Amino acid sequence: MKKSLPFVSLMFVLILFFSCLSPALAADKFKVALVLPGKADDVSFNQAMYRGAMEYAELNPDLISLKVVEGVYDVADIDPTLRDYADAGYDVVIGHGYQFSEPVNTVAAQYPEVAFLLGCGVGYQPNSQIYDVQLEAGGYLMGVVAALATQSGKVGVIGGGEGSEITRGHEGFKAGAKFVNPDIDIQEVYTGDWNDTTGAYEAAIGMYDSGVDVIWHSGDGIGLGVVQAAEEKDLYVLGNVEDQVTLAPKNVLSGLQYEWGNALERIFTSIQDGTFIREGEKETIMINVMNGGLSMTELNDVKGWLTTDDIAVIEDVYAKLGENAIELPEVP
Amino acid sequence: MLSEILSIGFLTSLLAGTIRLATPILMPALGQIYTQRAGILNLGVEGTMLMASIIGFATVASGGGLWMGFLVGILAGAIFSLLMAWLSVTLRVNQVIAGIGMNVLATGLAAYVYRLLFGIRALPAKITSFQAVDLPGLSDIPCIGTVFFQHNVLVYLAFALVPFTWFVLEKTMFGLKIKMVGEHPRAADSKGISVTWIRYAAIVIGGAYAGAGGVFMTIAYLNMFTESVIGGFGYIAVSVVIFGRFDPYKAMSGALLFGFASALQVRLQALGSGIPSQLLLMLPYLMTIAALIFASKKAEFPSAYAIPYSRMER
Repeated sequence: MKKSLPFVSLMFVLILFFSCLSPALAADKFKVALVLPGKADDVSFNQAMYRGAMEYAELNPDLISLKVVEGVYDVADIDPTLRDYADAGYDVVIGHGYQFSEPVNTVAAQYPEVAFLLGCGVGYQPNSQIYDVQLEAGGYLMGVVAALATQSGKVGVIGGGEGSEITRGHEGFKAGAKFVNPDIDIQEVYTGDWNDTTGAYEAAIGMYDSGVDVIWHSGDGIGLGVVQAAEEKDLYVLGNVEDQVTLAPKNVLSGLQYEWGNALERIFTSIQDGTFIREGEKETIMINVMNGGLSMTELNDVKGWLTTDDIAVIEDVYAKLGENAIELPEVP
Repeated sequence: MLSEILSIGFLTSLLAGTIRLATPILMPALGQIYTQRAGILNLGVEGTMLMASIIGFATVASGGGLWMGFLVGILAGAIFSLLMAWLSVTLRVNQVIAGIGMNVLATGLAAYVYRLLFGIRALPAKITSFQAVDLPGLSDIPCIGTVFFQHNVLVYLAFALVPFTWFVLEKTMFGLKIKMVGEHPRAADSKGISVTWIRYAAIVIGGAYAGAGGVFMTIAYLNMFTESVIGGFGYIAVSVVIFGRFDPYKAMSGALLFGFASALQVRLQALGSGIPSQLLLMLPYLMTIAALIFASKKAEFPSAYAIPYSRMER
């Protein structure tokens, strides 16, 4: 034991030396930490951001070095994780999700030099910024597609936690469906948890059994359950966040796709030119149909439920959303 | 609204959902009857189910076949619960803490195993799950056929385990030994029954049942693995055992009650009852608590419940 002491001390000194050296080596690059609430391969909310950030990092290898952390879901874990990365000398810390709102604002106030990004949350500091998705527009479009495709006059929407962009998306969906058919029957379920695949599956089975034939789900682990139910009942499902056609090629009618890289590009431009950290009001960086950050995946109408007229209506609404020419429901 | 609830289609769908959702609670609950009757409170059921769900799923995904995956899942549950047996019987640690520790371990380990085997992928790994068995003549009966005869084979197996478990516990020498060890380990020891061996066996059998329930989720209920695939069924199973006063038939009604409340909850939300979604989400748990209040009046725990046994101590 005594003999190993000099060796251990030497190692300790070496580690100390190199750990001091490494920030100096990467000083001209932004060290970015992306903290995800779920898994990077959930075919949804987390995966879209993971993909967006990885692509952005690959396109700009000299600008940023990216570190991804997965599965920081509980609010109690978020605060210390954000602090860890701020302490470790990261320049940009991204908290991806509504549950990051409170911790990002608390931690950002204590690390004024570090830039914080908050996905789909509320509240900002001089050194933080919100990015979000205009899901009411996407939901509206999905509502139009569902209402045109349904043969029974019954459509459904299944979400995870009630709040933020999910609620806006659901309200948009209802408005879109009612725009096509004011008397349409809309069923809505929140599973209360974005990871509750089992609950979402059961909800979808219940809806399909009661005559619903098109369901839109607003993402994450729940989406996998809804797609499986659609496959078993052989009816339609509309996806969210990522293109999900490959999950069930016969049953995924269409869906929304997010391009977070779009928002990241704008944010990093402002970080680079030094306008990111400032006092005063800040606009939320939105991805939406207008700027191409939110798009509809190709229609995959295997059952032939959509007529040419229907498709024309969908394309018209899609184009109008791109011009911001549709009044969308406002959720306080 | 009311007319929709009373419609045949709604009830059929609701009752079929009840049976489907009761299965992953029933399997581990039956196993925990052995374990708890032997005087061990194993809160690690949730983690045991999770480990079995990933290992069984991986077996099927690697081409091992569904039944092979089911058996491997049972085996994984039994092996993982050996850890609980070692902690609670040999080391005599606090059983509540040991169980929670097992769950934390399993949460990390299962996610790690999944990532190790499947990597980060654009699409989740999927398998072809157990399909609903088609019983000629029976499956086609309107309503009754949909409720009872359109499930996969593991659902029937779970319900067949109810009389089996009852038989083992009430009509065999092994069952008698389990109950004796749970009631009065010192008396059992003085009669030459190995308390250690019986408790190990009771925990491992409980683990095997939990493994069956866990792997059911990934290869029969769903056809994929997610980290939260068990979603609290293990904890509910433990409470169902107490609610069922350690009796397989009463545990079955407990599992069915919870399944019914969960299936009802999502369907009431869908119909737009006007009740806030958060309140409806509480329904299954409220019903469980209410049921526990009624049941607890007569709950008789084994005398040596959650108490480690040592021959030397008095």
